[in-house]
Amino acid sequence: MGKEFFEHVSVINTVDTSHEDMIHDAQMDYYGTRLATCSSDRSVKIFDVKNGGQILVADLRGHEGPVWQVAWAHPTYGNILASCSYDRKVIIWKEENGTWDKMYKHTGHNSSVNSICWGPYEFGLILACGSSDGAISILTYTGDGQWDIKKINNAHTIGCNAVSWAPAVVPGSLIDQPTGQKPNYLKRFVSGGCDNLVKLWKEEDGQWKEDQKLEAHSDWVRDVGWAPSIGLPTSTIASCSQDGRVFIWTCDDPAGNTWTAKLLHKFNDVVWHVSWSITGNILAVSGGDNKVTLWKESVDGQWACISDVNKGQGAVSSITDGQQNEQ
Amino acid sequence: MAARWSSENVVVEFRDAQATAMSVDCLGRHAVLSGRRFLYIVNLETPSEAPRKIGRQSKWDVGTVQWNPHKTEAHLFAASSNQRVDLYVWRDGCGEAHTSLQGHTRVISDLDWSWFEPEFLVTSSVDTYIYIWDTRDARKPTVALSAVAGASQVKWNRRNQHCLASSHDGDVRIWDKRKPNTAVEYVAAHLSKIHGLDWHPDNEYILATSSQDNSVRFWDYRQPRKYLNILSCQVPVWKARYTPFSNGLVTVMVPQLRRENSLLLWSTLDLNSPVHAFVGHDDVVLEFQWRPQKEGSKDCQLVTWSRDQTLRIWRVDPQLQKLCANDIVEELMEGLNLTNESEKTLRSQDSEPPLSPSLTVDDSQGQIESLQSGLVSSGRQDSPGLPQTLQQEFSLVNLQIRNVNVEMDALNRTCFVSAHCGANQVRLVVKFPAQYPNNAAPSFQFVPPTTISSSMKTKIQKILTDTSLQKVKRNQNCLEPCVRQLVSCLESDMEDGTNPHVFTNSVTPALPAFPRVTNTYGSYQDANIPFPRTSGARFFGTGSLVYFTRPMSMHRTVPPTEPTPRSLSALSAYHSGLMTPMKMRSESQATLRLYSGSPTRTDKEHVSISSFYYKERKSRRWKGKREGTDYSNRAIKLAGKVIIQEISCLLPIHKALAETYVLNVNDIQDTCQKNAAAALAVGRRDLAKVWALASAATNLDLCPDSDPDADTPWARHPFGRKLLATLVEHYSQMSDVQSLAMLCSVFRGQGIPQDYFMLYGPRSSGFTLHHSRYPSYTSSSVTSGSCSSTSDSTTTTMWNTTGRDSEQAPPWGESSPDDYRYANQLYPDPREREKEQHDMNKRLLDPANTLQFDDFKKCYGEILYRWGLKEKRAEVLKFVSCPPEPHKGIEFGVYCCHCRSQARGTQCAVCKRFTFQCAICHVAVRGSSNFCLSCGHGGHTSHMMEWFRSQEVCPTGCGCHCLLQSTF
Repeated sequence: MGKEFFEHVSVINTVDTSHEDMIHDAQMDYYGTRLATCSSDRSVKIFDVKNGGQILVADLRGHEGPVWQVAWAHPTYGNILASCSYDRKVIIWKEENGTWDKMYKHTGHNSSVNSICWGPYEFGLILACGSSDGAISILTYTGDGQWDIKKINNAHTIGCNAVSWAPAVVPGSLIDQPTGQKPNYLKRFVSGGCDNLVKLWKEEDGQWKEDQKLEAHSDWVRDVGWAPSIGLPTSTIASCSQDGRVFIWTCDDPAGNTWTAKLLHKFNDVVWHVSWSITGNILAVSGGDNKVTLWKESVDGQWACISDVNKGQGAVSSITDGQQNEQ
Repeated sequence: MAARWSSENVVVEFRDAQATAMSVDCLGRHAVLSGRRFLYIVNLETPSEAPRKIGRQSKWDVGTVQWNPHKTEAHLFAASSNQRVDLYVWRDGCGEAHTSLQGHTRVISDLDWSWFEPEFLVTSSVDTYIYIWDTRDARKPTVALSAVAGASQVKWNRRNQHCLASSHDGDVRIWDKRKPNTAVEYVAAHLSKIHGLDWHPDNEYILATSSQDNSVRFWDYRQPRKYLNILSCQVPVWKARYTPFSNGLVTVMVPQLRRENSLLLWSTLDLNSPVHAFVGHDDVVLEFQWRPQKEGSKDCQLVTWSRDQTLRIWRVDPQLQKLCANDIVEELMEGLNLTNESEKTLRSQDSEPPLSPSLTVDDSQGQIESLQSGLVSSGRQDSPGLPQTLQQEFSLVNLQIRNVNVEMDALNRTCFVSAHCGANQVRLVVKFPAQYPNNAAPSFQFVPPTTISSSMKTKIQKILTDTSLQKVKRNQNCLEPCVRQLVSCLESDMEDGTNPHVFTNSVTPALPAFPRVTNTYGSYQDANIPFPRTSGARFFGTGSLVYFTRPMSMHRTVPPTEPTPRSLSALSAYHSGLMTPMKMRSESQATLRLYSGSPTRTDKEHVSISSFYYKERKSRRWKGKREGTDYSNRAIKLAGKVIIQEISCLLPIHKALAETYVLNVNDIQDTCQKNAAAALAVGRRDLAKVWALASAATNLDLCPDSDPDADTPWARHPFGRKLLATLVEHYSQMSDVQSLAMLCSVFRGQGIPQDYFMLYGPRSSGFTLHHSRYPSYTSSSVTSGSCSSTSDSTTTTMWNTTGRDSEQAPPWGESSPDDYRYANQLYPDPREREKEQHDMNKRLLDPANTLQFDDFKKCYGEILYRWGLKEKRAEVLKFVSCPPEPHKGIEFGVYCCHCRSQARGTQCAVCKRFTFQCAICHVAVRGSSNFCLSCGHGGHTSHMMEWFRSQEVCPTGCGCHCLLQSTF
């Protein structure tokens, strides 16, 4: 099985971004054809990576500081990319007739904007931004180039480091709903901050309210990731922190009130990123140790490292036996 | 008088002590100096006597030493040495170590005795733990506070026995020892490392922090986001401590040069300039402590220990203490005026220039001279250090002032200042007396080609003299303030009258409180900003991973125990090098380069996240100087490659399966067999078996009878619904949405025999579009971007009613079997009801979970779309029982015709009026309505129908050919 595994894990492409300084984020678009990267050199670059190629499509200049994160909007709304930076700005870029241009510049934060995340397409163009000024702003496109801005002030004391939207389906509530009714999608997202907390937010009557406060980390929370839903009644969130810990939060309760934490692993260095696979059962974890590891929950509920993507080599160096295709 | 200027009255040299730390006991009798080989106990009553010694055997220096502050335990002191704390007893002229506290795994950075419990001692270490020890039980700490980050300082609150503060890089944490798990409060205090921490002696909530970032900040920890006050210095601050008398503060700077006067007394009420400089030490002041006041004495005594191996005791008399409590400058001047009347005229800046300024200057100079002679005689006897001070001032002075050029000549103790302002030119010779800046002001002399008028000269001369005198009285340098005064004076004169048309640039402010530039690191908020990610991985698509890491060439070499810093502010510390006085000797060259001539830190621009990693590489000595000298970072690639990797094999879903799977409702048996073969082909034997099971379960033999009385349906059998539920649960656990969706589809097809459509069909049969709708609809919602295929659905619904009252004509899309079931709860005929129940029972998939099963299919549909298998997707989505969501894409948004706000439904939420009017009858429309999509006009359906029977153009007269435009 291991052999078979190695044959399938393959590097499809290696992109040399030619950024002049360190890269802080890299994201692929919906179709997996375009790569967006951002860097301390203040630029955002977009590459066409179809068929193993790498063509620089755009070099977006506009930020006046290191750019921390980029995020692709759902392609329903066109080719739209958002970026956030140390310069306290969020810029939304849009491609029109092959050229990328600024669509909107959000300057509502007083400190570095650390994280951005587009909401599920069902909600339209909606972007959450977390900033070091402690606030989270939610930008909703209302048409005609207008954006409606809602701000949650002091969402996290000292600063907000990460935001991630819940999938539009709220599985817990779906089960109990009388079938046949229009599912009542709830806008929800999760955030993590310097107060060591993970917080859940939901929109009620057009207002954003704190829904839950999850406490487990002993240092700044650096990233949060709400797992995609495949229709199961469980909501899952991953959070990672400066303390080296990654927690998996799950909630089976239809009301969404009872969250239980499970420690995935304690790393020796800060953990910066968590990312879920589309099936919501594999988590990619990366951090200060410059390593990328993939984790999977076994049938008995334990999280195990299934691969260790080595830095720079693009190979999976170790895999726990029997983790894959356990059938 | 002289005593005021030099309050140092005891100097004792301990040449061989090599002590690194010092402490004064609470009775004020002894000071302990901790050298490597001996601890020296100095009797402060008779300091010149040879000190007693306590031998020690350690290769480590003593980090911190502290006497127990309780009178009952005054004979005890603690000294930390690497990972250990030794407790010493000093009695009757001899002492010994009697206990040691061991628990830390790395070097102890600080220790502090409790102010309330004589047995309690707190220690901090870079091992990230803060331990509170009960010295009666030395085996282990009684409380361990886990800070995650290593601490540099730890201090007990002086007012609250449970409270303590620790510093970690640029942050301060406030702890309650009863809650050891987490800090009570957290203060992102500084941009870079905190060297000193001190609680206010009287206020429970206030503390002062001193930092590498050149500032002392005062905090009320209940308001952690904003400091109460800031003392900005030009150099890093090593320690800042409150004085025992009110409103005072003593600071020690991290000196940039060995002979700098770095020990200053401040008033916390006025942080613009120090109250007093303690001049005397020839080297870095390592420790300073207040000797407790003797009864009856009003003087305070400051005991200092310096690397010049001298212990000095300074008297701070009540007058000096009072200066801290009051407005210092005025007080100081009043004191002066008592002895010198001419000083007063000289001082008053806003008064008219004196008639004979030169005379005044001379006069005051003489006075100062005389003051100073007194100072010299009783104070510092050594003057060789002074020229260096001037040189140092020249090297540090920030003269980035427009239109000014300064030529400095430290050897001849002069400098030439040239300034031009509009048409005026000024050239000034500044001569620094030998004692400068020790209360000796420089002289200023205008030389050609100065063009300003003589009255102006007089005025400037006066201002400069004033400025310089103010400064030197506190042993402070005055060149830069003088030059700035000169320029502002010249410019204000220009604006005042002589040449109002010329616009001049105002003087650059001395040092902006915060850098205005936001595009480089170094903002004051950096402490709150997380340290940037330099590697990361993201899933995308269905089974791919994109990740980036730091280039192979950039490694951190610090041991893994030292985690990556938390906040961006750490960067500046790494950039400037963590400088402590201990390191000064070896790093003084580098330090000089860093600081000299750039107090504005133009080098900030080079601070990049890469410098953190780069710096560490540089510190690997064996790498040689090649990279070290190449500071431009060009040689090393800073951006790593971005790698895109296929990891779909790790996922439970298979594209190959998706391609070969079939879904044929008409022949379920065949479908199952084909799918079993497909699963086998990709190595999913488990799935092959499942499909075999599915085949068995869907066998026609088991097909349920339509008559409820005939037989128990197969679904009720353990191998029926229960088996399927188990399968669903299993694949749910594996997140195998592909298998889930396929199974649900097949069994749904099976569970709904042909007569299903007969039974449930009446509504849907009326709408032939019902079936074709799914593919088109979902492509618009799921496909994202490519909306081309939605045209058919758009046209059919275009003229659909916007009246959303659900009781009238519910959108056909929302009907579902279950809906039907619920809607008909009140069957009159029990037969009917039983039959209905039977229909539910014979279905293999639990109808209660229909929505969840639909979600599986929708999710799988999304994945199929991403795989580009659109037909397969359409096949699967046919089995979705209810639409993914109501036809949101073609719902009309209505703007209220009164207030123009966006409204949903017929009534505007904002103005509470009806949102739109009929174009024909001008009455608000509540029920069925029709609109033209082109011009937006419309009204009651009946009116519209009537109108367009005979007309082609819009009833409002807008000229729109509604019928053509909207394909009515």
